Amino acid sequence: MQSRPALGELLLALIFAILGIVWVVTSLGMPLWEGFAPQSGFMPLWYGVILTGLAGAILVNLFMYGSENGEEPIGKPLIVLAALAAGIAGIEPAGFGPSIFLLLLVLFAVVERLPIVHSLFVAAGTTTVLILIFKTWLGVRLPTGPLGI
Amino acid sequence: MGPFDDLIQGFIAAATPMNLLMCFAGVLLGQIIGVLPGIGPSAAIALLLPLTYGASPTGAIIMFAGLYYGAQYGGTLTSVLINVPGESSSVMTSIDGYKMAQQGRGGVALGIAAIGSFIAGTIGTLGLMLLAPPLANIALAFGPPEYCALVLLGLTALAAVGGSILKGLATGVAGLLLGTVGIDPQVGVARFDYGQLWLLDGVDFIVLTVALFGMGEVLASCRTAAAEPILNVGRVLPTRDEWRQARMAILRGSGIGFLIGCLPAAGATIASFVSYIVEKKVAKDPSRFGHGAIEGVAGPEASNNAASAGAMVPMFALGVPGSNTTAVMLGALIMFGLRPGPEMFTTNSSLVWAVIASMYIGNAILLIMNLPLAGLFARLLKVRYSWIYPPILAICLTGVISHANNVEDAWLMFAFGVLGWLMKRYDWSAAPMVLGLVLGPLFENTLRQSLTLSHGSGTIFFLRPISALLIVAAVSAITIPLLVNFIRQRRTLAGA
Repeated sequence: MQSRPALGELLLALIFAILGIVWVVTSLGMPLWEGFAPQSGFMPLWYGVILTGLAGAILVNLFMYGSENGEEPIGKPLIVLAALAAGIAGIEPAGFGPSIFLLLLVLFAVVERLPIVHSLFVAAGTTTVLILIFKTWLGVRLPTGPLGI
Repeated sequence: MGPFDDLIQGFIAAATPMNLLMCFAGVLLGQIIGVLPGIGPSAAIALLLPLTYGASPTGAIIMFAGLYYGAQYGGTLTSVLINVPGESSSVMTSIDGYKMAQQGRGGVALGIAAIGSFIAGTIGTLGLMLLAPPLANIALAFGPPEYCALVLLGLTALAAVGGSILKGLATGVAGLLLGTVGIDPQVGVARFDYGQLWLLDGVDFIVLTVALFGMGEVLASCRTAAAEPILNVGRVLPTRDEWRQARMAILRGSGIGFLIGCLPAAGATIASFVSYIVEKKVAKDPSRFGHGAIEGVAGPEASNNAASAGAMVPMFALGVPGSNTTAVMLGALIMFGLRPGPEMFTTNSSLVWAVIASMYIGNAILLIMNLPLAGLFARLLKVRYSWIYPPILAICLTGVISHANNVEDAWLMFAFGVLGWLMKRYDWSAAPMVLGLVLGPLFENTLRQSLTLSHGSGTIFFLRPISALLIVAAVSAITIPLLVNFIRQRRTLAGA
């Protein structure tokens, strides 16, 4: 265990605390109790209060005892996240097929530096299989782009 | 005629070439459906319903039953191999199953899951055959306070079996909190949608699960993808020692799964959570759990399979669905002009017994198919991780988009994926969050119904014996480990 809190874990506890506060504030604007029965805001209010309390306790714990896990490089996960974000953003304008194909190709060939021919082949194969299963077999309406896929 | 005579008649009806084919098709389709995130067995049955309009009701229900328990095993494959549970009932399997795969024991994990599923499925079917009418009556004794207490027990016990109780509780409450997004089921008012139409349906289980488990794992592991060692597949059949460790877990899981499956609306998810918790509690060395304990795979797997049989009890005996899937099957029975309920065993006994007999056959098909296939599936682990994680991300994305057909869910998956990565990185358990989301609506509904019934008094939970017992168990699940820790720390300090 390291003696100081890891930045990532502090961020995690803060996300939970903020989530709890947002729920408390929002549920206070809803009906809480009417007659005998709890209303729409009752449970969310309690969940928010409890979550904020628990996240606060975790934060105090982190400052008192530090994190069990130390920091590690986050460059590559951030690159993968950026590629995924670009892939999701491209689904509506470009269509599901091209976006998934490009996402896979970028991850294989650029991020992982795998051989380009193999990358092209696996990216195209995976995209085709996904379209065949979800669109052709299961009849799911996946977003299409100018290429019709 | 006794149940065994009825069963023989059922076997005669189920063993026709057409019904055998329907059973095989159901099991096979179920496995494929279970592997794909986003398409659950209930959605698959709904999709297949139009195809069975011309078929006999017996054949169609046999296929749907096969699909139901086939999907339970399909979810296991992705849980063990890539840490993406295809179904909510496979979440617990992924904890130790994936660790076993990382240790080169992926084949054994899948093998014991197949064997456990077969044994549990057979025990569950036997239970369905012998105990359906009396158990259906006991299940009726569960009112809103008992369900509420049962969910509370599941959440607190699960929070307590993770590494840190505080973090486990926080993620569990966060799951409950996310479960309040969308339309309030009691009064029909929109909550926490912030003006976004796509949030009216709430946060979907599949979005959260795929993000926390699938994306979280990918982001945590991609950093070392090129250097990740190529894992050994290992053997499929367990050794004598492994079998000795797993056999009681399978038996306990079968009993737990069947009993919980009988409760309407409880189903395989709660069954697998409870089974995992029980296995950890009875283990001589609980610290092995979460690090590749075979009981952590055998128990939940047996449990979720037995729950599939248990869920048929209220469906056949009461006309009340035990799970989402049996709700769709119930709709199918009505579509075929049948009336589910207590008279099913008299007016349509040939159909009921043919389905029960087909479940024995289906479980045998599942075992025969999966023992050789387990090794084949586990060979996926021999592929370098650099080639595996991009398709995992693509499958996660496709599953999420296909589920509700909107890209907004993909963005939600992205956000939860970042959260899952941090949780994985700092050892915050994701399972309580998923359980909280899945059970949140049931918990809120039953709590509000209970308080309405008691005119706002919380004493209702303590005046009813079953709910009082469950609440005491829930409180104990949190306080006992805390107390033990406290005493241990005091002793250590005193010793120093």
